[in-house]
Amino acid sequence: MRLSSLVLSFTLLAFLSCGGPAGDAPADGGKSKPLVMTTNYPLDYFAGRIGGELIDVRFPMEGHADPAFWAPDPETIESYQKADLILLNGATYEKWVDRVSLPPSKVIDTSAGFRDRYIPLEEAVTHSHGPEGQHSHGGTAFTTWLDPALAREQANAILGALKTALPAEAAALEGNFASLAQDLEALDRELQGAGGSGPMLASHPVYQYAARRYHWNLVSFHWEPDEPPSAAEWEKLRRALRKHPAKVMLWEAPPQPETEKRLKELGVTAIVFYPCATRPSEGDYLSVMRRNAERIKLSALK
Amino acid sequence: MNGVAYLAWRYLTHHKYKTAILVLAITLILYVPAGLRALVRLSERQLTSRAAATPLLIGAKGSPLELVLNSLYARAEVPAPLTYAAVDEVTATGLARAIPLYVRFHAQQDPIVGTTLDYFEFRGLRVAAGRQMARLGDCVLGASAARRRGTAPGGWVISSPENAFDLAGVYPLKMRVTGVLAYSDSPDDDAIFTDVKTTWLIEGLAHGHQDLTKPEAAPGVLKREGGAITANASVTQYNEVTDENIRSFHFHGDAATFPITAIIAAPRDTKSATLLMGRYQAADRPQQIVQPLEVIRELMSAVFAVQSFVLTALIVTGVATLATAGLVFLLSLRLRRREIATLVKIGGSRARVAAVVVSEVAAVVGASAMLAAALTWITGSFGSEIIRNLVAR
Repeated sequence: MRLSSLVLSFTLLAFLSCGGPAGDAPADGGKSKPLVMTTNYPLDYFAGRIGGELIDVRFPMEGHADPAFWAPDPETIESYQKADLILLNGATYEKWVDRVSLPPSKVIDTSAGFRDRYIPLEEAVTHSHGPEGQHSHGGTAFTTWLDPALAREQANAILGALKTALPAEAAALEGNFASLAQDLEALDRELQGAGGSGPMLASHPVYQYAARRYHWNLVSFHWEPDEPPSAAEWEKLRRALRKHPAKVMLWEAPPQPETEKRLKELGVTAIVFYPCATRPSEGDYLSVMRRNAERIKLSALK
Repeated sequence: MNGVAYLAWRYLTHHKYKTAILVLAITLILYVPAGLRALVRLSERQLTSRAAATPLLIGAKGSPLELVLNSLYARAEVPAPLTYAAVDEVTATGLARAIPLYVRFHAQQDPIVGTTLDYFEFRGLRVAAGRQMARLGDCVLGASAARRRGTAPGGWVISSPENAFDLAGVYPLKMRVTGVLAYSDSPDDDAIFTDVKTTWLIEGLAHGHQDLTKPEAAPGVLKREGGAITANASVTQYNEVTDENIRSFHFHGDAATFPITAIIAAPRDTKSATLLMGRYQAADRPQQIVQPLEVIRELMSAVFAVQSFVLTALIVTGVATLATAGLVFLLSLRLRRREIATLVKIGGSRARVAAVVVSEVAAVVGASAMLAAALTWITGSFGSEIIRNLVAR
């Protein structure tokens, strides 16, 4: 309908009649603590450390699959929608977020503050079809929390969001954050120089941020801990070792014994460096990262 | 019933057509101005409350009225677009909550409003049946839209092509209805709500298609060069988001560059509102910020001016009609001379005869007044729905 005819309708027919908001305001469900939902375990840990008893933190993914490739079911999306705060890792970590409806006012991208320091992925597939031209399905490296300095910045973003949600508790939240920041700084010191400067391998491209922070000379593969590498993959490794004579290979989880044995034959020691994206069966983010640091330090001494 | 009333009643029922015409004419004369005033007051109240509930609107520079009508009532022409970056810009100021609106597409006659979940909280809309939209391709229907379409949660809505002759244009998208909103007596009742990302999908800024790296997509691939794959027109694109294909949907480009038609800015307080408005005063700024209440008040003042002319004309017409009705009564008295003479001869006093005639007039005027009052009440009670249905079509 054209604007002029609308105005005419207003005047002669007596006006488009439209009401104000008459729906009932959604009930708050009687919540006493703000519900904070996260998309991976490190964020869950940081929020828990900062918010403590003041908040209810939930990371709804069950099991030990990689949250980076997880997609929540409709019920889980509904619970995210009902949360008071939704903490995202960002850096293209949560691919599913582009395909679901979340309330932006409650969403905090914890890595948005260092967007300019994201590491672009090199292996993106580009394709073109139709008039819009070529486009890429690639993204950026996303395991930001493996760099404790970036993890601290993410925790700081969480602190800001929690202070907005709980302004009366700002002092307590800041105190908790200071304690977490101290632990992250100590972890950073432990990891400094832990890997040495020699060539290293990674079974999966997930250590980019740690490698940048600690100057690891790292070449990554796409090997799964629970699958034996194919002959072509072994050949690719042999070729890589000629140019990149690494003595250690970082794994997200213990590799199969046969794989470990064959690596040993090539002079490569398998070192487990858990990214800790999901809740560990023992300990927490900090203890897992400390053990990672110890393992990598020991391997460098050998 | 006494004799006077009985005789008046018998006369009116005997001349039922004349009585009906008189009652109708007087009813209309009384109802039209009263009904018009009721509608104007109702519309003013509702328009103003909708506008007052929307503190600030940001849109591309152009007609403020067009921006307000499109954003608040999902009507009028589509304003010039602005990019989603403007939403991030408002959010970054920390002065207001920014709620994007993309009101461009339709499903048959019903507008599709692309927004975010914050809109529902802001407007106080709640889902009465089903659940809130959860993923790309989901939508929730306003109460009236759902009733009109006969669609319930689990049903489907298909977006309409903007131009039937543009075969390469916007593809119709089959959207899954996840919920129906509770009736809110507002334009939201007539709308179809979806995530703003779904409206971008309708526009073709996002799409889902076969995985071109998979062997089954080989017939659709023209060439592969390293990591670059060029597909031909035969590659299968999806016009419906399902559990099976949702992972194949992706956006082309940066969402910050994608279009929206307006931003509802809900400032934290008056100071924040003033500061935010100040940021949009620069002449070289491509966006405008408007206070919908001011825009609607300007519109209403123009409407009131027209209304006073219309009312004056109606009153003059009414006086003329009432005079004609009086003439009808007087002429009927002349025609009834023999009847009145008979009444006098059988013993009726002049006063009683006059009482019969006055009773007839009073009955006609009284019935008309009651009918007009009832119609005015109906107009006041159901006017919004009636007018919205008339104008919306």
